Amino acid sequence: MSTKEQRERLELLQGTLDLLILRTLLLGAAHGHAIAKAIEMRSEDVLQVEQGSLYPALHRLIKRGWISVQDGTSENNRRAKFYRLTARGRRQLEVETSKWDKLAGAIARILRPAETEGES
Amino acid sequence: MSRRKRMMEDLDQDIRDFIERETHDNIDRGMPPEEARYAALRKFGNVARVKEDTWEVWSFVWLEQLWQDVRFAIRMLAKNPGFTAVAVLTLALGIGANSAVFTVVDAVALRPLPVFRPDRLMQLYVKSPQGVEPYSSYPDYDDIRRQVRSFSGVAAYYHSTRFLNSLDESSEVLIDAVSPDYFAVLGVKPLLGRTFSRELDSGAQSETGVVISYRLWQSRLAGDPAIIGKEIKLTGETAKVIGVAPPHFQGAEPLVPSDLWLLIGRAVEFNHAYPAGRSNREFKTVARLSDDAKVDQARSELDTFGHRLAIAYPQTNRATTFQIVPETKRQGRMLPISLLLMAVVGLVLLIACANVAGLLLARAEGRRRELAVRAALGAGRQRLARQALTEGLLLSTLGGAVGFALTYWLMSFQRALMPPALAFLGPDMRMDLREVVFAASVTLAATLLSTLTSVFHAWRVGLAGGLKGEEMTLVHRGHRLTARNLMVAGQIALSVIMMTSSLLFFRSLYRARNQPVGFDTRKNLVGLSLHGLAGSRLRPQQFLPILAERAAGLPGVKRTVYAFRFPLSGAGSGMSAPVSIPGYQLPEGQSEISINLNAVSPGYFQTVGTRILEGREFTSADGPDSQSVVVISNTMARRFWPNGDAVGKFIKFGNENTLIVGVAEDAKIEDTRELPVPYMYLPYSQINFGQGVVIVEADTALAPVISSLRREFHRFSQGMVIAHVDTVQSLIEHSTYDLMLEFRLIGILSLLGVFLALVGLYGVVAFVVGSRTREIGIRLALGAGPGQVKGVFLLRGLRLVLAGVCVGLLVALAAGRLVARFLYGIKPYDPLSLAMAVGAVTVAALLACYLPARRAAKVDPIVTLRYE
Repeated sequence: MSTKEQRERLELLQGTLDLLILRTLLLGAAHGHAIAKAIEMRSEDVLQVEQGSLYPALHRLIKRGWISVQDGTSENNRRAKFYRLTARGRRQLEVETSKWDKLAGAIARILRPAETEGES
Repeated sequence: MSRRKRMMEDLDQDIRDFIERETHDNIDRGMPPEEARYAALRKFGNVARVKEDTWEVWSFVWLEQLWQDVRFAIRMLAKNPGFTAVAVLTLALGIGANSAVFTVVDAVALRPLPVFRPDRLMQLYVKSPQGVEPYSSYPDYDDIRRQVRSFSGVAAYYHSTRFLNSLDESSEVLIDAVSPDYFAVLGVKPLLGRTFSRELDSGAQSETGVVISYRLWQSRLAGDPAIIGKEIKLTGETAKVIGVAPPHFQGAEPLVPSDLWLLIGRAVEFNHAYPAGRSNREFKTVARLSDDAKVDQARSELDTFGHRLAIAYPQTNRATTFQIVPETKRQGRMLPISLLLMAVVGLVLLIACANVAGLLLARAEGRRRELAVRAALGAGRQRLARQALTEGLLLSTLGGAVGFALTYWLMSFQRALMPPALAFLGPDMRMDLREVVFAASVTLAATLLSTLTSVFHAWRVGLAGGLKGEEMTLVHRGHRLTARNLMVAGQIALSVIMMTSSLLFFRSLYRARNQPVGFDTRKNLVGLSLHGLAGSRLRPQQFLPILAERAAGLPGVKRTVYAFRFPLSGAGSGMSAPVSIPGYQLPEGQSEISINLNAVSPGYFQTVGTRILEGREFTSADGPDSQSVVVISNTMARRFWPNGDAVGKFIKFGNENTLIVGVAEDAKIEDTRELPVPYMYLPYSQINFGQGVVIVEADTALAPVISSLRREFHRFSQGMVIAHVDTVQSLIEHSTYDLMLEFRLIGILSLLGVFLALVGLYGVVAFVVGSRTREIGIRLALGAGPGQVKGVFLLRGLRLVLAGVCVGLLVALAAGRLVARFLYGIKPYDPLSLAMAVGAVTVAALLACYLPARRAAKVDPIVTLRYE
């Protein structure tokens, strides 16, 4: 059965998505659509946020107490749900960012020597 | 729940908002509104899925799935009430039997004494040339208490019985006569009032104060809160209650639970013959180790002390030393028989679990398609397996609850398990947290045992996944039944083992009851044991002949005699005397040997039917003032006068020369299983006792004679009570009571096991018949006779039965050594027991196969072939 593999891939995506949401909200409160748009724009459309995972991720962050949700009024004067980074979320972002840096660095170090060995 | 609900409502709004924004963005990009909305929806994807995923963030998934499983299991069980009832009842019997036996075992062998630090308590044993016994003399006890430094305290006690509120025979209570420091040594604080103390309770002036047990206080004195200082009536005297012991405290021995404590010096029997002598060893002694003392240290100090006493008092203490056994170890003596019982009852549980496993598996086979459908619809195999486990857990929890309730109910009859005359003697069997924990563990074990196969089955189906069509093969070899076949064969084997062991106990019991006892068991003999004779104005020597004579005049009475004790009337009611035998060299330089004795009236031997082998029995001429005489047992005669010339010789009680006038055949004294030992009979008139029994030989039914004896006695009694009314038959039953109890318990358990095994066997054969109905139809249509069809299934059952019986027989033979020590007069490989067990199980098993096989032969070929 392939469910196990799927789940692992999903897990990785979720973790990354969580980090990106937190980073986006560092700039200020935003509603769901704006968060998705911001991630897509800032990654120059490389990353497409799947709506299927955006909302579960948002709710997971709320449950962990890293972001909060409140009613607000948007730019065109419509009521909307605004997500805001909490103090705990801010700290978590720092932790997650440094973790990500380490992970990215490690993966890079593994990949680069492998290339050179292959050539020699 | 409410937070989750609120979050989900927010989510709805948020998703609508998101789609609207996306639509607007699309319109801004120049799409037509209709298309813009469609594109937005398409981009968002499956709204329901998103909602579901988000919902899962807020839920405890496993808990919800568990709840789903439980609800599903309840639905499944409710849909098959027959199946559920059989499974629950089977498990209830298995778990109930286990918790019942555990309750008993816990009471007699496991539960620590409810005293302070029982591990620091030591029981004192005396090792003398006569052997090792738990009785010491009062002076020895007193010296040890004063001088052995390793003990912080030492207490002496002995068991006795009293009658509460006099004449009422049903209110016999077991008492302990104790030394003043008894409660202090055990570390037991009173619930009300006070216990004894050396300061308050020594000296001649102190009153007859008693401490009563919580049980007695509650059951007989209605829990009277003002009981302290009140007087209660005990056999022939009044006593003041000074304290109530805490709940569950019943003395230092769980098997001899005491309900009342009085001081040794105040016990009536000591007003007559205070046992000050060092030779009079009849006190149990319990010591508490000092805080800084170790067991070995106490042992060596006690050893040295024993040697010092032996030198100081060579007359009584020669070659005598003291030993200590930790209380916790002493309790362990009941462990072997307890383990045997637990093992047997464990087999019952195993059989019950195998049955339920078989039932579950049969049903799982029937639900193969359903499982496959569920697997195809996306249920993981873990989920399917968990579902099977949940169902098993539900079943065994129900079974456990019913079983525990059953045990609780059964325990209210615990007194009925005791012999009638000893009903007051029941150990304190109670069910508390320990019993609940045990029952819960057994239930858990039962769950695992009974669901293992069906969980595995579900796992395999989940793995196979495919939705195969129904098996169309004609030759159904039944591979899938292998697990069930094994279980049923195992059950048959277990039944054979259990049946054999219960038959072994039955045969031991029969042997023990039907062997020569040295008196005539066919006679209608009744013994009235009298207590409190000491309180009478007349001496027993004067009183007993008069009562015997009056009783002889009653209708239906043939003859009456009297004696000090009735043969077989229980351990501890005997008496012994030190005797020296001129011309016989005793081992180790002893001058005297202690020999058990009875005192009897003229005509005793003829009446009870003990034959006189040589010489004569007592006559009325053997009075208090004539030559003192004795009749000795055959074993005693052969040991000390091997030439066969005992009659006419003298033995010495102290300085008194006593003439041997007769030799009687060996008679059982306390237990029908004992080996013959030297024994003596003295004329009742020549010895002074405070106890006696009137023995009546009736020539008609016993009941009317007993009631007229009672009436006669009460007309006549002077502060005395009838302690027991025994018949020879009842005494033989009492003396073999342990065997009967074991036979009954193991017998009931093995019948239960056999019954469960047969149900299991029936289930297997019935299932095979059911699943092969079509094949049977075809066979019948092709011309097979009903007899042939029947034969096929009978043969199938027979194979299982034979395999099981063979294995069972082998194990029973191998395990026989384990029960050998509990048997009497037969070998553990007793061929008759084995043959009967095998025969009974085989016949019953074949019957269990025959019923479903007969149904197979009645199959209508037309109906089965039309199916589908």
